[in-house]
Amino acid sequence: MNVQEIEINEAFRAEVREWMNSHLTGRFASLKHASGLGAEGYDAQLAKEWEQELAKGGWTGIGWSAEHGGRAATLAQQVIFHEEYVSCGGPGRIGHIGETLLAPTLMHYGTPEQKARFLPGILAGKDYWAQGYSEPGAGSDLAGIRTRARIDPATGEWVIDGQKVWTSWAHESGWIFVLARCDETVVQAAPGNGARHGGMVLLLVPLHQPGVEVRPIRQITGTSEFNEVFFDGARTEGSLHLGPVGDGWKVAMYLLGCERGASTLGQQAHFRYELNLILELARKNGAARDPLLRQRLAKAALGLQTLRSHALRSSGEGTSQRVASVSKYAWSNWHRDLGELAMEVLGEQGELALSDPELRPLQQLWLVSRADTIYAGTNEIQMNLMAERALGMPR
Amino acid sequence: MDLVLNDEQRMIAESAAVFLAENSTSAQVREVAEERGGFDRVLWQQVCEMGWSTVALPEVAGGMGLGLMELVLLSEQMGAHLACVPFFDAVVVPTPLWRHLSESESGLAVVERLAQSSKVCVIGMTVRGALSASARVVVDGGSLVLDGQWPQVGSGAAADVFILPATLPCGSLALLEVPADSEGVSVQALATVDGTRTSANVSAAQVKLAGSAVLVNGDALHSLWAELRSFAAIALAAEQVGVADCALDMAVNYTKERVQFGKAVASFQGLKHKAAQMLVGVEMSRSAVYSAAVAADAGAVGDEFFMLAAQARSEATDAALFATRECIQLHGGVGFTWEFDPHLYFRRAQTLSQRMGTVEQWREAVAVRLLDQPEPQAETAALEAA
Repeated sequence: MNVQEIEINEAFRAEVREWMNSHLTGRFASLKHASGLGAEGYDAQLAKEWEQELAKGGWTGIGWSAEHGGRAATLAQQVIFHEEYVSCGGPGRIGHIGETLLAPTLMHYGTPEQKARFLPGILAGKDYWAQGYSEPGAGSDLAGIRTRARIDPATGEWVIDGQKVWTSWAHESGWIFVLARCDETVVQAAPGNGARHGGMVLLLVPLHQPGVEVRPIRQITGTSEFNEVFFDGARTEGSLHLGPVGDGWKVAMYLLGCERGASTLGQQAHFRYELNLILELARKNGAARDPLLRQRLAKAALGLQTLRSHALRSSGEGTSQRVASVSKYAWSNWHRDLGELAMEVLGEQGELALSDPELRPLQQLWLVSRADTIYAGTNEIQMNLMAERALGMPR
Repeated sequence: MDLVLNDEQRMIAESAAVFLAENSTSAQVREVAEERGGFDRVLWQQVCEMGWSTVALPEVAGGMGLGLMELVLLSEQMGAHLACVPFFDAVVVPTPLWRHLSESESGLAVVERLAQSSKVCVIGMTVRGALSASARVVVDGGSLVLDGQWPQVGSGAAADVFILPATLPCGSLALLEVPADSEGVSVQALATVDGTRTSANVSAAQVKLAGSAVLVNGDALHSLWAELRSFAAIALAAEQVGVADCALDMAVNYTKERVQFGKAVASFQGLKHKAAQMLVGVEMSRSAVYSAAVAADAGAVGDEFFMLAAQARSEATDAALFATRECIQLHGGVGFTWEFDPHLYFRRAQTLSQRMGTVEQWREAVAVRLLDQPEPQAETAALEAA
C-alpha cells in the first residue's frame, strides 16, 4: 500500500466516522451497539429506518460496482467501513441477509430483470430478505430438504409446500429465498435429477401472502429473532428462480460462500466492543485481580487480534481453501468462550437476572453465543469439512 | 495490510523447504541428536553459505536487508525439519543487536567480524529470554575483568563467541563480546531432552577483555532488549508453527495409511476432529505470526510490537503443544516408539514453549497492560525476572 493510498483510506475513515457521529444520534441513538440477535427491546422498525438512513448516506452496498449503484470501495475501504461502523456503535444490520448474501448471488446468477427488480430495494434499505434453507429434518444435512416446488400449469407460477426453520428476521422481512426440491414434472430434463444434490431450485418468494405463515421461535435468550416458516401452496412468479432450475444446490452453496469477506471484520469490531465491556467490568469489580481470570482475559484479547489477522490473511488474493476453512470454527469458538468468560467475570452477580444496561448484554452474550457453534455449519460439520476437504481425509 | 507472500518470500520459503527436506532428514536429525551432540556443523555451514544467516542484516553490514518476515519463513522451515542448527540463538536473536550496531562505524566493524562469518555467536540470556545482572565486570589497569555464570545458555555448546550480560562498575548492565576460547571461560555442554538442540553452562573466571568488548549498555541496552524480545518471540513462534504443521502432516498421512476395521482410520470422525483442531491451531497461529512479522517490518515498535509478539507466542505455543501431543495419539502404539518421529516433534515443541518466556508469562504481561493502572516499569521487571 503506497502513501497516497494510505492518505485516501485515512480520509475515508474520517468520513465514515464523521457521518456515523452525526447520524447515529437523536432517535437513532437507542440503536447504539444493539447487535440484533438476543438484544432485548430491539426496535426492528427503527432499525429499518436506520438502514434507509445508511442508504441515503451511500453506505449500503459500498463494495458493489457503480453499475449496481454501489461505490466500488476497495477491500481495504470495506474493512475500514465495517470497523468504523461498529466502533461508532452502529447496530446489527437487519438488511444483512439481502445485502451480503442474496445481492452478490443475484449479481452472479440473476437475470437482468431480477437484478433490476431486486437490487435497488436492497440497496435503498427498503427490502428485507430472509433465508429459507434449514428445515426440521434438514439441519446439518441440508441436502435432506423436503420442501417441494412445482409449477402450476394454469398460471405458470411456482407453487411451494413445506416448512423452513431458524429463519432469521422472517417476521420482519418481505421476501425469502427458498431452497426447494423440484417436483418430478419440473426437472425431468434438468441435469442431476434424482441425485442427492440434484433437482433443486432456489426460489425468490414474497412472504406476505396467504400461503405463508411465519411463527416466531422463543430462543434461549428469551427473545425471538428466529422463526418457523410454513409454506402451504405458497406462490411466486414463474420467472423467480435464481439460477438454473435443477441446479439450486450450486446456487445455494455460492450464496453461503458470500458469508466470508469484509463484513466478518465488522463482526470482529463488535467482538472488540464486547471484550472491552468485560475488561471494564473486571477492572471495576475486582475480577481483574484473579490470576486465572487475568490469563483468560489476556488470552481472549490476543485471540481476537488473531481473528483479525486471520481475516486479513484469508481475504487476500489467492488464499487457499485450507486457510479459509478454519475461520468459522475459530471465531465461533472464540466468541462462545467469551460468553462464558463474561459470566465468570460477572461472578456472584451473574446469578441474578440483571437489568443494568451495561451488564445485561453480557448475560445475553453468554446465551446468544451458544448459537455461534451451531448455525452456519456446526462445530462438528466444520471439523468434518476441514478434515475431508483441507486435509484430504476419506469420508 | 497485505498478508499474502510476495514472489521473493515465496521463493525463500520454498527453497528452504526443499533444501531442508534433503539435508535435514529424519535419519540425519537422529544421527546428529544421538551421535553428535545436537549440532549439525555441516548443515550450519551450508545455511551460512546460502546467506540465510544474514537475510535480515542491513545491506550496509553485508546482509540482504530483508525483514523479520523472511526470518519467520526460514524459522518455520527450521521447525518443520527439526534442523539441528542454532538458527534461533545465533541468527534470529542477535539480529536486532547487529542492526543496532550497524548504525555506528565502530559497531559495523563488529558486525562484519561476527555476523558475516559462519561463527556461532550466541547471547547469554536465560532460557526464558531475560538478561541476568549477576555477572560483574571490574576494571583492572587497562582491561576489564569479567566474572560470572550463565546457566543453560541456548546453543551454548556450539558457540564460538558469547555475547554475555554483566554489570559494569558504574552499575549499568552491558553486553560483552567474549570469545568461547578466551582464557578463563569454561563451557560445560548439557544434554537436552530435545536432542536437536545444544545447551551449556557458561562461566567466566577472571576473564580479561578490552574496553571494546562492551557492545551496548545502559538505556540503549534496555530499549534494545525490549525490542529484541518481541522480535525473537515472533520468529520463535514461527518455528512452533513449523513444528505444529509438520506434526499435523505426519498424523494425517499416518491415519490415511493405517487400516483398522477394514478401513483407513482417517475415515473415523473422532480422528478427523482431532486433525481439524490441529489445523485450526496451525492456520490461526500462522496468521498471527505472519501479521506480527508484517507489522514489525512496517515499523511497529514498543507496546504495539509487544502485543504482536504476545499474540504470536500465545497462539503458536498452544498450537505446537496441542499438535505434537495429538500427533502421538493419532499414531497410536507406534507413536510411543523411538523409531517413529512424533516424539522428536513433541520434544521440540515442549522446549520451545519455555524459550523467551512461557505463554502464561506473556499473557500476564498482556493482562497488566489491559487491566492494571499504567505502570510500565513494574511489568518490564516482571518479564526480566522470568
